[in-house]
Amino acid sequence: MGDDKLLNLILLCIPLSLVSFGGGQTIVASLQHQTVDILHLLSGPQFTDLYAISRAAPGPGTLIVALIGWEVSGLWGAVLATLAIFIPSSILLCILGSYWQRHRHSAWALAAEKALAPVAVGLIFAGVFAVGQSARFTPLELATSLGAIAVLLTTKTGPYPLLGVVGVSYFLLSLAGMA
Amino acid sequence: MDKPVGDIGMEREENVTSLALLASFLRLGASSFGGGMAGWTHREIVERRGWLTDDEFLKTLTVAQIMPGANPVNLAVYIGLKLRGVTGACLALFGMVLPAFAVILAMSVTYQQLKSHPEAQAVLRGLACVGIASSLTMGIKTARRLKGHALPILMAVAVFLMVGVMRWSLVAVVAGAIPVSAAATFWIEREKSRG
Repeated sequence: MGDDKLLNLILLCIPLSLVSFGGGQTIVASLQHQTVDILHLLSGPQFTDLYAISRAAPGPGTLIVALIGWEVSGLWGAVLATLAIFIPSSILLCILGSYWQRHRHSAWALAAEKALAPVAVGLIFAGVFAVGQSARFTPLELATSLGAIAVLLTTKTGPYPLLGVVGVSYFLLSLAGMA
Repeated sequence: MDKPVGDIGMEREENVTSLALLASFLRLGASSFGGGMAGWTHREIVERRGWLTDDEFLKTLTVAQIMPGANPVNLAVYIGLKLRGVTGACLALFGMVLPAFAVILAMSVTYQQLKSHPEAQAVLRGLACVGIASSLTMGIKTARRLKGHALPILMAVAVFLMVGVMRWSLVAVVAGAIPVSAAATFWIEREKSRG
């Protein structure tokens, strides 16, 4: 059964690799929907946990697939899912990269570059929507998210100091029996 | 010896050993905490190693950003390809991903050990809040690049509804949306240039 699950995960990652414009955030909606609702590899809360870890970890957000692979079938799952998410896009880049570089001043190439932004925006919001829905935030958590958005939009603070502050605060709240 | 500008140099291959390439990208992979990777890569590849000129680096960066895949990884793979062919691309990919992969696995093991503790659950919920907030912020910042043009905004909303709310296949939606979006952009640009 574990092998079937791993195979399904790999077959999910390969096409996603080829449409992961800008990286991990654009494919989160599909990862959540497929691994939780369709393939039943993870429960909703489990996905939210892995999402939280991947957002706190260094490196590309795409590495959430390594966490999912690890949950599904250990070290091999993590390795194969990682290869499945990075190799297809890398091959495409190696094949099309120089072609794109030669023709990047043509009207169509310029249009295609600008055309990616709206699609990426739609996908990022879809990902936020999918995770937000499955996370079932409490009022306190919703307030934390809104506060974090306000800080990130209005100050130059990056996400890492916020992760530290919120992580420690939630730990203390939990010790105090409040979260 | 004069080298043609704009022709990223296979002719430099002899100067770049596989070991040096791997070392550079392992170093970059290990410093990939929290973004700004294009800057780090520029410092290592252009300033420290002198493997690419500024101009070559910028062209490489453009390609890395436009193609699917995580931008820092794409940048590494494409630089590796240009400097050492397919071997270079593989080494760069390996070097760039391995450190982050090792860290995330260590975090995963820790998570397995601690997940039954209520405190660990609380911390993860807190991190998820910040994670979502930072994704949403990224979405808002990218959306600002649409600059209030009606067609691109409509496109973004349509993609959101199809993938997020109706849960259609993301791959199919993207495959359909990119040509439509490119055609719309092409049309907007042409109207603009006609004044």
